[in-house]
Amino acid sequence: MGIDVTPATVLRRNPDVVLREEDTDGALLFNPDTNQIRVLNATGLFVWKFMDGTRDLGAVVASFRESFEEVPQEVEAHALAFAGEMAAAGFLHPTDSPQA
Amino acid sequence: MGLQKFPQECNIAITGRCNLRCHYCFYANEMTALADLPTAVWLSFFEELGRLGMMRVCVAGGEPFVRPDLFELIDGLIANRMRYSVLSNGTLIDENMLAKFEVGKRRLRLDYIQISIDGSCAEIHDKSRPGSFEKAIRGLRLLMEHRFPMAVRITINRHNLHDLENTAKLLLEDIGVPSVGTNDAMPIGSGCPNEPEVALTPREYLVAMKTMERLRTRYPGRLTATAGPQARLKMQAEMEEAKRTGVKTTRWGMGYLTACGCIFNKLDFLHDGTIVPCNMLPDLKLGNITTDSLEEIWRDHPTLRALRERRFIAMRDVPGCGDCEWNEYCNGSCPGLAHQMLGDFNLPNPRDCYRRFLEDTKETECPA
Repeated sequence: MGIDVTPATVLRRNPDVVLREEDTDGALLFNPDTNQIRVLNATGLFVWKFMDGTRDLGAVVASFRESFEEVPQEVEAHALAFAGEMAAAGFLHPTDSPQA
Repeated sequence: MGLQKFPQECNIAITGRCNLRCHYCFYANEMTALADLPTAVWLSFFEELGRLGMMRVCVAGGEPFVRPDLFELIDGLIANRMRYSVLSNGTLIDENMLAKFEVGKRRLRLDYIQISIDGSCAEIHDKSRPGSFEKAIRGLRLLMEHRFPMAVRITINRHNLHDLENTAKLLLEDIGVPSVGTNDAMPIGSGCPNEPEVALTPREYLVAMKTMERLRTRYPGRLTATAGPQARLKMQAEMEEAKRTGVKTTRWGMGYLTACGCIFNKLDFLHDGTIVPCNMLPDLKLGNITTDSLEEIWRDHPTLRALRERRFIAMRDVPGCGDCEWNEYCNGSCPGLAHQMLGDFNLPNPRDCYRRFLEDTKETECPA
């Protein structure tokens, strides 16, 4: 179950989470505090790397659209769901406003 | 089997010192031959592990609790985003020691503390682990009392073979630990000169298997093993099943030298910083943490490559196995023991040869 996020939500990566980019197709995230692991595909990895607390989710999705061709319409919904689930699991932390 | 970019797990012997002199310690030779590294070197190494994405470290020795800087080292692992476990004889665990785990994230990041208990009483446990039963049990009870995540290991040997039921009762019923792991004493380290005293004969091995089978029924899901009689019993049953049905298990690679998988997902480090494929292969030195690139060793070291390519060797092509009726179902077992006993990891571990085991035990009447 995720937490409620909107395109205006700003999230940043939990600095304790380990990112292991195993190959070109994806990566693995490990939260050593909770002992949880998440496997990311290429889209999830792209989103993860943009979660630095400097932009909201709407901006992250816009960057995604600019970087890839033929991005399906539902990408925003998927990105919000992904971000909400990752925040609920402690991989991402909400921030009040974009950080410089 | 795919090769990870860098292993997720490793064992680190942070010290060669130990307050005990156990009769089958696999690390006994290295303990006396090598010197401990200072705190700063380990902390710098932990930073490198963190950068490379190491996730779990098993802190071993020697006895980790003899190092006065143990918690400084644990904090180093935590600062570099790792979880950890500790392998201990349990004798140095007291209230003061446990209180130190309550600082910062030490307790949060702890997977478990493992303690070895090798008998239901001092008379049996102390035969292989002299003078340690009362203190080890006290440590174990303290871990239980303070609800620490823990693991308990019984190393089955000639002294405790006929005490396994009592030991299981002590641990699982009287003390109430959640589960117990088992393996067996092997001819490695101090187990070499003491082999006649501690290592099970094939017939004793059969007795151990039958006993563990009974105990598994009595304590469902609470006895685990990745090696030793309990694990071998399961493996032999799978070999029998595959031979009978013609269907090989997909759980492990039958018919090739596929054991074991460690070389694909972990590295081990001795207490002087020597990098080895596994602590069962301590003389296969790959380099040292103070001088060599871990990434390069993991990816390119010829010894690791050779160990990984072992899985392409068919059992039918292994010297001595060509005419074995089990060669399509065997995997050669631990390369560490093959290397230690025969000087070649591209041979099967002779202690786990099923054909020999059947020959050695065929006239054995085993107590049911």
